[in-house]
Amino acid sequence: MRVLRASKQALSAMVENKARTFLMMLGVIIGVATLTVIASSVIGARSDVMSKVQKFGLDQIMIMAGSGRKPGVPQPVPTTLRIEDAQAMVSEISNVKDAVPQINRRDFPVKFGNKSTYGVLVAADANWSDVWNTPPERGRFFSREDNARLARVAVIGRTIVKDLFESDDPVGKQILLGNNPFEVMGVLEPRGTAASGVDMDSRILIPLLTGQKRVFNQDYLFMIKIVLHDASKMSQTVEDVRALLRERHNLQPAVEDDFTIVTPTQVMNLASKVSSTFSLFLILVSAISLVVGAVVIANIMFIAVNERRSEVGIRRAVGARKRDILIQFLFEAVSVAVIGGIAGVLLGLVGLKAVAGFMKVPAVIMWQPLVLALTCAVMVGLLAGIQPARRAANLNPIDALK
Amino acid sequence: MINLQKVSKTFQKENMEVKVLQDVSLDVGDGEFVSIMAPSGMGKSTLLNILGCLDKPTSGEYLFDGVPVHAMDDDDLSRIRNEKIGFVFQSFHLLPRMTAWENVILPLIYSDVDVDMKERAFSVLTSVGLADRVDHLPRELSGGQQQRVAIARALVNSPRIILADEPTGNLDSASGREVMRVFRELHAAGTTLIVVTHDRDVAEQADRIIEMKDGRISSDGPTKVRAVEVSK
Ligand SMILES: Nc1ncnc2c1ncn2[C@@H]1O[C@H](COP(=O)(O)OP(=O)(O)O)[C@@H](O)[C@H]1O
Ligand SMILES: [Mg+2]
Repeated sequence: MRVLRASKQALSAMVENKARTFLMMLGVIIGVATLTVIASSVIGARSDVMSKVQKFGLDQIMIMAGSGRKPGVPQPVPTTLRIEDAQAMVSEISNVKDAVPQINRRDFPVKFGNKSTYGVLVAADANWSDVWNTPPERGRFFSREDNARLARVAVIGRTIVKDLFESDDPVGKQILLGNNPFEVMGVLEPRGTAASGVDMDSRILIPLLTGQKRVFNQDYLFMIKIVLHDASKMSQTVEDVRALLRERHNLQPAVEDDFTIVTPTQVMNLASKVSSTFSLFLILVSAISLVVGAVVIANIMFIAVNERRSEVGIRRAVGARKRDILIQFLFEAVSVAVIGGIAGVLLGLVGLKAVAGFMKVPAVIMWQPLVLALTCAVMVGLLAGIQPARRAANLNPIDALK
Repeated sequence: MINLQKVSKTFQKENMEVKVLQDVSLDVGDGEFVSIMAPSGMGKSTLLNILGCLDKPTSGEYLFDGVPVHAMDDDDLSRIRNEKIGFVFQSFHLLPRMTAWENVILPLIYSDVDVDMKERAFSVLTSVGLADRVDHLPRELSGGQQQRVAIARALVNSPRIILADEPTGNLDSASGREVMRVFRELHAAGTTLIVVTHDRDVAEQADRIIEMKDGRISSDGPTKVRAVEVSK
């Protein structure tokens, strides 16, 4: 009760000097705003990555040709990864349920009539659609028979449809992949943009054998994606796959793998690394602003304590204990910080919208970042206020009244 | 109710010891109206601060209501000031941002009593003749009115004693007389008062005058001049 009355006394001083109060709040506003953006976008990015991984499949592994650490980075592809490797994995490793051998080529030219564009050409087995969970929304996907007879058929994504056909129905139309005529037999369901920034809807799917013989003129693969029966045996299966491929590729013990195995956890790590550089920068901005904010609050509080010596003296003379004065000044510092914090959170939420648009990260507004931000504000207020409040509380009332 | 025994106060000033009070012994009983008179710099305020539990003596004993104050800690002293002592200062010492009634309730904020503060403030402000000034800020009041707000603040917690340090020092003579009239009324109603002043006219409003010289009490006795005044 008494503490409540004493802290109520704090608020009037803040209203009195608005410019100064705003100056006190500024650091906290900036710090909390950036903190809100970081916390929200980190959580947003994480849930984004999680959903991507879920789409990728927690029971799936990718085997990329070559020893490169990063999938998708262009580099000379070794010729050792073969369709037979994929078949061997299914028949020899019991936990492998299915395997899709495929060749990917970015920026492949596609033409229809006098219109042309570029897409990601993917030559794959007929089970690609199931394993990648990307069924056709129109027409159909190619079959094993289409693959076996090297059919010149293609299933294309929406971006390609838009670029070449605008609003016309592409199914049954002839397109040119490079110089090879293909018939469009279906359109893929849209999948949006991947974490790597690749437009998933610019993909053009053709049968693997058709691609090897008629387009790429190569008998090796770019990658194999495999599906497991039991995802909990992931690490064992990765080792089995590695052993099998090393044996099939005749690699001596000292020679490094001529392939790269990518598991869902690795995908997750990679995706979160992208956002971590940016959040590190923001964390720095936030930390600096909060520290500067605290220093500013502390300094202005010291000035205020000096200016209000006689107020302290009067309050002490009429019976305020040291602790009542301490609480009053501490409450002032914390109130300023918290009001700054609330303003910061609001600003942060506005900023989050902007960042989300700019980084193509979904803006998730959740309570955790807000609580974190306000907790930081309270901490700043307490830390900044404690020394000035102590000084006020320890003023000698007689000196203060002079 | 106030009992000082051989109280001394020494200040340390640039390695020099300044003996402001020396062996001051003094008793003030319930309901007395006492003035302490001395020229400036003679230690009046120092004495009043000790009496008001704002400061502690360097040596000697001070019993307030029979309680040894010289041995108390800071929180105890705050409590005594809050519950039993009302201060009136030369320069009023009102909080400038607060209205008259908000200033008056200040002691209640730091006390445990549970009363309707605004009502209580209104009643004490009425008793000092400021019923129509409760919502005024200090700067909207004359010096005499401000000092009466300060007196209302001193009274709000029904203290055992009012201590006033040069209460008329910043006032014109008419306002000063008004303030002293309020004190006399309070005295008539049974309040114990100690007023410190260097002004003989003010001092003579009290029933008893204590004069100080060189940190000691040089004379102590009932006011005679008023008897003269009455006989005029
Ligand atoms: N805190 C202090 N430190 C040093 N000297 C002081 C202090 N307070 C008062 N004095 C000295 O004590 C003397 C008496 O002061 P004071 O009690 O204020 O006198 P008065 O109220 O009678 O004018 C003065 O000489 C003053 O300078
Ligand atoms: Mg004085």
